[in-house]
Amino acid sequence: MSRGSLSLERLNPLTTLTGAAAVAVITTAAAQWAFSLTVLCGLLFLTLQQVRAAAALRAAAAILLPFWAALLLLHGLFFPEGRTVLMALGPAAVTREGLLFALDAGLRTGVFVLAFLLFSFTVRVPELLTALSARGFPPRLVFVIVSALTLLPAAAQRIARIRAAQEARGLVIGRSLASRLLAARLQAVPLVLSLVHESGERAQALDARGFSGRQRHSSLGAVPDSAPQWAARRVLLVLCLAAVAVRVALALFGGRA
Amino acid sequence: MNHGPLLAAHVESFSFHGAQTPALRDVRLSVEAGSLTAVLGGSGSGKSTLARILAAWLPGSHGGELRGRLELGAHGAGARVDFDGGSDDPRIDPAAWAAHVAYVPQDAAAMLSTVRDTVAGELAFGLENLGVPVAEMRRRIAETAELIGLGGLLGRGPATLSGGELRRLAIGCAVIGQPSVLLLDEPFASLDAAGAGTVERLLWRLTADGTAVVVFSSAVDGLSRTATSWTVLGTGGPEGGRQLAAGPPDALLAGDALARSGVVVPGTAPQGPVRNSGHTDAAPVLELKGVRFGYHGPGASERETLRGVELAVRPGEVLAVTGPNGSGKSTLLRQLNGLLRPRAGSVLIQGLPTHGIPTGVLAVDVGLLFQDPRFQLFERTALREVAFGLGTKRRLLRPNPEDARVRERALAALAAVGLEAQSGSHPLELPASSRRLLALATVIAREPAVLALDEPTVGLDRHGLEVLDTAMAEATARGAAVVMVTHDLAYARARAHRLLRLDNGVLAPVE
Repeated sequence: MSRGSLSLERLNPLTTLTGAAAVAVITTAAAQWAFSLTVLCGLLFLTLQQVRAAAALRAAAAILLPFWAALLLLHGLFFPEGRTVLMALGPAAVTREGLLFALDAGLRTGVFVLAFLLFSFTVRVPELLTALSARGFPPRLVFVIVSALTLLPAAAQRIARIRAAQEARGLVIGRSLASRLLAARLQAVPLVLSLVHESGERAQALDARGFSGRQRHSSLGAVPDSAPQWAARRVLLVLCLAAVAVRVALALFGGRA
Repeated sequence: MNHGPLLAAHVESFSFHGAQTPALRDVRLSVEAGSLTAVLGGSGSGKSTLARILAAWLPGSHGGELRGRLELGAHGAGARVDFDGGSDDPRIDPAAWAAHVAYVPQDAAAMLSTVRDTVAGELAFGLENLGVPVAEMRRRIAETAELIGLGGLLGRGPATLSGGELRRLAIGCAVIGQPSVLLLDEPFASLDAAGAGTVERLLWRLTADGTAVVVFSSAVDGLSRTATSWTVLGTGGPEGGRQLAAGPPDALLAGDALARSGVVVPGTAPQGPVRNSGHTDAAPVLELKGVRFGYHGPGASERETLRGVELAVRPGEVLAVTGPNGSGKSTLLRQLNGLLRPRAGSVLIQGLPTHGIPTGVLAVDVGLLFQDPRFQLFERTALREVAFGLGTKRRLLRPNPEDARVRERALAALAAVGLEAQSGSHPLELPASSRRLLALATVIAREPAVLALDEPTVGLDRHGLEVLDTAMAEATARGAAVVMVTHDLAYARARAHRLLRLDNGVLAPVE
């Protein structure tokens, strides 16, 4: 199922979840585009080591490319605090400050999105469910958390199914962006409708199989864990807290806000 | 020991929210320990609705207004729940109810948790939720897996199972909890002969051990013939959703209730004029030459699914393909329209290789009826569903429903399958048999040169089978070829010119 020693599938899901959260928090707290860029490159390298790298990168591109384009348009052209005008375009102006702001925000968002996509596309859902349940989380809450964290991979599979049905009835998806966008438009409504329809049915089946019961659940398989992973999770949490504390201190005592 | 019924129900009426007429009226059912009961009825007779009410999936909060009572006897400590259709009706704890009354829906996949990535994990899911110790869990998983014939697939991903394997897994998930009553909606759908035999043996063993088994079906099959009693529900008009008859099978076989309801009774269904003489001299409309294919990826079998398939089908010919569950029959059909591509070998439609031609273009010549209609239907109304893709000029744009020509073709296809009155209905809210017919309408509306039908008879009542017969007869009459994958050997022998078996990745004639 996995390839290479950097495969995240072998890790305890709480380790990868803590890692994703820590990367997002620390990068946001650091608020330095160079730092964000370094982290993003690291995440890209790590993504490429995973079995589902292509699917994760496609999902990241689908989210980030439109977002980055909007950032560039909004802040690159209309940044109120922009002083250093690089190019004047009538009422709009490309400013150095605006571009830097867009770069900073874009990279931070990129880190956030890629970190969580990397987690969603590598996590073994049964293990995450077991790990959270074993820590006393209510089953319904666990299911909501797991569903939210794995929504994109699940939606990707569903879209593939809808696309197969549509292609079987004459939909031709070309390679151009316009063709793909039109296809995405045709698949968006069926995707949402089918997810909503299935969720009701699924909830009944889960209830009938005792998923919402209050008794303590047992587990068929053990979730892999180790002392180094346990320690790593705590170190990451401490680093998160430290990063937030430094950020708050700098904001309160005159550092760069 | 208590010899009263394990489960008793009186559904005075049940109406779905917003429905004009009740789906069920005055239906009584009572099942005792060790009994086998068959609830029979045509499409839309309310069989599945009754099953869901008995399983406590519908009363109280979901879907509709129930008047009547449900009663759990014996192991259920005499629990009785009365419903009067009001908002203050009691709510049933689904897990507590399911501990006594387990239910396997017609759509077996709906039973699965989706949060377990192996067959063993899926079987364990219900036991884990009850806190069953690991050693006991392993013992029950091994025992159940053997009983349902999935002992060799415990490590496989549920998403990679065939339709028949998935159904057996769903039944396993239900029986592993050792319920006193087991409700099975169309339990033999998509099962091969071996799988059906496995399920039959399992059900006989359960009844021998004291479990009450209730099967819901639109056809009289080998299992239902051995039932203790039958209940027949009416279809359509004033008889729709009403209990037409109840009693021992012999008495009901002698009456007219089964025929009035549209239940398929083997040996009595009229033979449709499907078989034309075929164009034996014409060039093949479909050819497969040395087609090889295998899946790869997590949870997939490492064995090659198709290992050099050779096939030629001529215009007007009906070809049936059978074979064990998981042998690759659906995989074979998906090679025809390019949803899957051969790893080696070639597929030719009307003499032209499909290599490099998009599936959307091949759809003009090959119409595929998916095994599970839910995967084929995606639109908001039945009319839009059939109209999708009928416009030929702008493939990417949704055809305008007001386009007269497209609308006319779509309505004609809906009328051909008897669903013109449901043109505004949401496809996923139709009864399962109607969903299959709607999916068939999407195929015949295009008048393709090859009809690839995956398990087209599953869940169809007599009317549905007649519709299917007519559709195939009309297609072959205009020179199309039909390739049908089915486990219904009697139907295949009666309707097809040739019957082939796919096993170990190759096709061979069935003697």
